[in-house]
Amino acid sequence: MTDEPKTLTRERIAVGDMWRYADDARSLPAAVPPKTLPSEPLVPQPGQQTLAVGQRVTRPDSRNHGLGRTKYIDDLAFPGMLFAKFKRAGIASARIMRIDTSAAEAMPGVMAVLTGNEIPVNSFGPTFQDQPVLADPIVRHAGDGVAAVAAVTEQIAAEAVEKITVDYEPLPAVFDPLEAMRDDAYKIHAPNSNIYASKVVRRGDVDKGFAQSDQIFEGRFTTQMVEHVPLEPHAAIAEWDANGRLTVWATIGRITLARADLARTLKLPMNRVRLIGTFVGGNFGGKNEISQEPALALLSKKAGRPVKGVFTRNDEFISSTTRHPFIMEYKTGVTKDGRILARSVRLILDGGAYCSWSATTLGKACILASGPYKIDNVHSEAHVIYTNKTMTGAMRGFGAPQVCFAYESHMDDIAKALGIDPLEIRLRNVFDEGTSSPTGQVLHSVVVRESLRNAADRFGWETRS
Amino acid sequence: MTDVTITVNGSVRSASVPPETTLLKLLRDVFQLTGTKLGCDVGDCGACTVLVDGMAVNACLMLAAQADGRQVLTIEGLAMKDRLHPLQKVFEESGALQCGFCGPGMLLSAKALLDDNPDPSSHDIRDALAGNLCRCTGYSKIVEAVQDAARAMRDPRTEDTRQLEMHGHD
Ligand code: FES
Ligand code: FES
Repeated sequence: MTDEPKTLTRERIAVGDMWRYADDARSLPAAVPPKTLPSEPLVPQPGQQTLAVGQRVTRPDSRNHGLGRTKYIDDLAFPGMLFAKFKRAGIASARIMRIDTSAAEAMPGVMAVLTGNEIPVNSFGPTFQDQPVLADPIVRHAGDGVAAVAAVTEQIAAEAVEKITVDYEPLPAVFDPLEAMRDDAYKIHAPNSNIYASKVVRRGDVDKGFAQSDQIFEGRFTTQMVEHVPLEPHAAIAEWDANGRLTVWATIGRITLARADLARTLKLPMNRVRLIGTFVGGNFGGKNEISQEPALALLSKKAGRPVKGVFTRNDEFISSTTRHPFIMEYKTGVTKDGRILARSVRLILDGGAYCSWSATTLGKACILASGPYKIDNVHSEAHVIYTNKTMTGAMRGFGAPQVCFAYESHMDDIAKALGIDPLEIRLRNVFDEGTSSPTGQVLHSVVVRESLRNAADRFGWETRS
Repeated sequence: MTDVTITVNGSVRSASVPPETTLLKLLRDVFQLTGTKLGCDVGDCGACTVLVDGMAVNACLMLAAQADGRQVLTIEGLAMKDRLHPLQKVFEESGALQCGFCGPGMLLSAKALLDDNPDPSSHDIRDALAGNLCRCTGYSKIVEAVQDAARAMRDPRTEDTRQLEMHGHD
């Protein structure tokens, strides 16, 4: 006990001391921008390569990253700050009958507990406001939060979460999107259908195209759910001050949207909400909307202290958005020499429990579904379906990688069956300068033919074994 | 409470912490050296890598008490007083740090490798960095950067050239 003050004194002096090396680095010259770029702004011209291509680019923030000086959310702390943890449902589909938080509240060090019924407007989402901040009373996937705790240490918060008991009435659940599409399927957002968004792109007449084709190929392709796994987990700090103003520091990619969602869920005028987007330690689409922030804000309001929430890696996998699994059915009519006359595509997106950025993903996937090929007759349709799984949302490419996997695999199958070189069949069909895409957009700066040839030359396509 | 005394980046530090405190918590929460990151807390990602007696360890898996009496190097101690460590300089120049969250751990794993093996093959580098996950760069720039840094560190002229570059004499 007598040692304590001594240790503390040393600490106070030592902290400044510890920063010495990194502090000195501040006097180093800043990271140098690439020298060869002209100083006047670059105006890209169609069909011309910009001067930026091929330049070595130095990121202006790398200096701080390399020195360990970049302050991500979890590197910030405020006096009196509390730590939040979430109770996850652990059941995919259920009605919450009762939540008992009394044991958690009685724990020393627990400063506030929150459940869904305390959230002013318990729904948010970038497209449809179909996602609750904390499930109340319906749980739609196992990662749904059902309660949150703020405590003086992370450990106490985690222990308190364990002490919360929830009585559930299990409800039917549906996990397969094809099953969920059926009329008699359990409605996850009753009374609405589980098919929550659709899109169709039509060009020419596919039936005529198929009738004129020498051969018709069909293929079915599926992709799996993918988590973004940013190295920095979702993290935020909320401080609700005594004047009723809210400040939130968050690792988030879309701060204006997040601010609007915060104001909406908390029923606050927008000018009472200040959102500070900090460095993001990897987003990839997974940090494009709010998640725990409204709950942290309300915990802070209750406790009168700033509250930090950092997702565990487990939270990250079960309750942040993921990439949509796709079921993709392709049908393509070709001539004997491999020219595509017609293509029909049907995409079924497993949308998980909430919409998030599904509508955007659906649209982009549907527009790109027929590939970078000149096809006069196209029919693409896409549907996104609710299932009782972790919600799917934005992830790099918004659905483009899934359809690319399918149409290119399909192309390879066709080439093989027709005995045409896979590169050759692509060159016979690819977009050219001025081609109009299936949605009628006239495309410029199209270099896919040159790119394919260059790539084939570079990796020795002809001489491959 | 357990008393821990360690030498961090050259300074002797001590603290009295609950016995379950990890080295990562000690560094970040008690010593406020937040350059070391927490990515998973279970030894999977390497964001928490620090050097303990020169060896790269996952600070989230080591108890603070296990580091008692040892030398710990964190990212805050990697730069010299007046210049960056060659690894930091090359990582910065070659775009090997994007979001940067993996950076501190990556740099320290790379340092442990170069201290041991000044001329690693790309295979050696991949092997040494296998415990450090990066979701942004795709690794190739990181591997190239470590090779470039190794080359620079082996070159006897490097120090002077670097000094000049740093101070902007062309
Ligand atoms: S935080 Fe230690 S390995 Fe991930
Ligand atoms: S730079 Fe983002 S994880 Fe490596």
